[in-house]
Amino acid sequence: MSPKSRLPALALVVLGLAAILAPAVLQGATPDPTEILKKMDEVTSGYADQEMDVDLVIGDVDGTKKTYGMMVWQQGEKRLVRFTSGEIKGMATLIDGDRMYVFMPGFKKIRRIAAHNMQQSFAGSDFSNADMATIAWADDYDVTLEQETATEWLLRGKPKPGKNIEYASVVLHVAKDGYFQNSVDYFNDKGEKVKEFEGRNMQAWGSVKRFQLLITRDPRTGHNTEMRLKTFKVNQGLTDDHFTKRQLQWGGK
Amino acid sequence: MNRIGIGLFLLALVPAGSARAGLDDWLRFSGYVQSDVRYILEDTRGAEAGDGFRFDMNRNDLDLRLELLPTERVQAVLDTRFRFYGFNEAGKLTDLFRRDKVDPYDLYLDEAYVTVRGALWKKLDLSVGRMVKTWGTADQFNPTDNLSARDFSDPLDYTAKVPNQMVELVAYPATWLTLSATWVPVFKPSMLPPSAAMGFAVERDAAGCFKSAPIPPLAVSDVKELGELFTAIPACDLNFLDPTVRTVLPEANFTNSQVGVKAALQAWEIDFSLSYYYGRFSFPVAYTAVADVASTPSGVFDVAYTAEVLYPRMQVLGADFTWPLDFTEWFDLDDDVSFGFFGEAALIFPEKVVFGLRALQDGNLVVDKSHVNVQPDPFVKATVGLDTTLPWGTYINAQYVRGFFDEFADTYGLHNYAVVALEQKWFDDELQIRVATAADLTDRSLNIYPQLTWVLTPGVEVAGGTFLFVGDTTPADPYDYASKSRFGQKAAGRSVAFVKVKGSW
Repeated sequence: MSPKSRLPALALVVLGLAAILAPAVLQGATPDPTEILKKMDEVTSGYADQEMDVDLVIGDVDGTKKTYGMMVWQQGEKRLVRFTSGEIKGMATLIDGDRMYVFMPGFKKIRRIAAHNMQQSFAGSDFSNADMATIAWADDYDVTLEQETATEWLLRGKPKPGKNIEYASVVLHVAKDGYFQNSVDYFNDKGEKVKEFEGRNMQAWGSVKRFQLLITRDPRTGHNTEMRLKTFKVNQGLTDDHFTKRQLQWGGK
Repeated sequence: MNRIGIGLFLLALVPAGSARAGLDDWLRFSGYVQSDVRYILEDTRGAEAGDGFRFDMNRNDLDLRLELLPTERVQAVLDTRFRFYGFNEAGKLTDLFRRDKVDPYDLYLDEAYVTVRGALWKKLDLSVGRMVKTWGTADQFNPTDNLSARDFSDPLDYTAKVPNQMVELVAYPATWLTLSATWVPVFKPSMLPPSAAMGFAVERDAAGCFKSAPIPPLAVSDVKELGELFTAIPACDLNFLDPTVRTVLPEANFTNSQVGVKAALQAWEIDFSLSYYYGRFSFPVAYTAVADVASTPSGVFDVAYTAEVLYPRMQVLGADFTWPLDFTEWFDLDDDVSFGFFGEAALIFPEKVVFGLRALQDGNLVVDKSHVNVQPDPFVKATVGLDTTLPWGTYINAQYVRGFFDEFADTYGLHNYAVVALEQKWFDDELQIRVATAADLTDRSLNIYPQLTWVLTPGVEVAGGTFLFVGDTTPADPYDYASKSRFGQKAAGRSVAFVKVKGSW
């Protein structure tokens, strides 16, 4: 079958799907919360791969700030982070599913990291290693629809049984227009809000849209961390080889 | 020429991947400057009583590291270090004309190598040049880690290593399997701390008279017999010269090359590896000694003591693992209870070393003793440990160690150690306190290493602390080579306080 001859068949499939989906959209019915979460995951991480050049700006309660540069590469559930400045320059972490490795340039050694390290602060920031490892929320949380506004769905998420997650619950604010993760509130087991996340400055990065500024704050102290995206690229053709221990100790940016 | 032919021709012209476009893509420059000042906190562990409470070090380092990535498949690394020692070494008037005497310095080439990724096969990396290699999953105490010799010239930096020329092939046939083979053509020994010379030092009393000589690794009865040779002479009539210790280095030939092969695997939750090493133990083992006693017309006896040490050949079968134990997930606990569990063991097959000692008096052989210093029997060095983070954020790492870095199955033997490190960070990791201690469970001596680090701004940190030795400076039995206290003996080092400032980029 030539490409041209395929078109009618494809059009039929699209029309068929539209017919199935149309009633829900037309009636304004709320999609299933889990489906919203999965769509959000897809918008956030659903590319073949991502590459980010980021400034991690850690703001103390007295207003002082310090900045670390880092490169982030992601593909599916795999993420590689390499610090490019400061006293931790050259240190790199690889998250591959439940496995996490750290390359320590001073020791010229790759070390496997246990789960207890995941709850620790990522380079003194308001992000924990676990936050940095969270790629698919739908894998970690069961969600219910807590509220719906004109622009957002508010999803209450609780860790799935057996998941070792430091928060008792989260409330995700998901944009109806585009399924963007606008903000997240994190709560401890006493119901206290212990962390806030917010995305700002939506920008077009080539063919995709993404917040340029990601802010995490501890509402109890005012301590905050900003991730300022300098570049954001998707679908660069990164292969599985980029997310290996081999790559972890390779010097390339 | 068809298209395929042209493609192959171009591929041959660019054997190591496509060239990179921007400078930032292919050149990375980093390094640090570090100042390190140390002060000796005691006057009991020096060559002479009363030596101490003075500066021990006033060092400045400038490290410059260049990484070149001309193509996506080639990485070249050059790491140099200028070290300025900070103490005047001009002992003569003529030295005062020389900057290297007044302000002595060294140039180190820590790394200089090239790695080609995808050499011959896309999953094979080839590295050639001057490198440092680290094997093993335990923290610092890695009995399977023998390719690179240790650099203990600075006792506080016990993770440092001596770089050496190597050829390494690493294959990545699957995500769960990494195979490596390393060839080190020429043997290099470990560097020792300056205090190591105290292991062969002659002790004198306050009047400068002979007090004790280094204990040779002989049977206790033989050491006693040797001692009687000297106790027969009044101590002040013995002019025991400082011993000369020679190192017997292996010839630089193929048979003295070192080879290591390793298979690193992942299975279920466990990362583990199996390894084999053929080479030499990089720390010296006592081999021979000659005590030459010569009577003089003044009635004084000159004693020249000459010893030899060597580096025994050995084969090592190694195994190590890391196993994250996540009890929170396993038992569905509310609170985080997880540990990193790791272990490492080396089965070492050593070369037999027979120690021989002769004593001559005015040219006549008066004592001739020998003792098997290293039995040719396999023995095990091992480390097993746990690390975790306590609910309030304190990181703890505890290890049991069988056999310290420089311990071998010689007459001194292997000791057992408990090594514990605690670490707590505050203020966004800007302030960090770390207390590390190694306790010798065999002779109950101790090394304590508390350190406070303050990151002033990203890339600039100040650290201060102490490095303390606790234990008997004299052996429990003056005739027993094995009765020397691990951290107590003077050869272990001086107790110091230090301040370091480091700026890195």
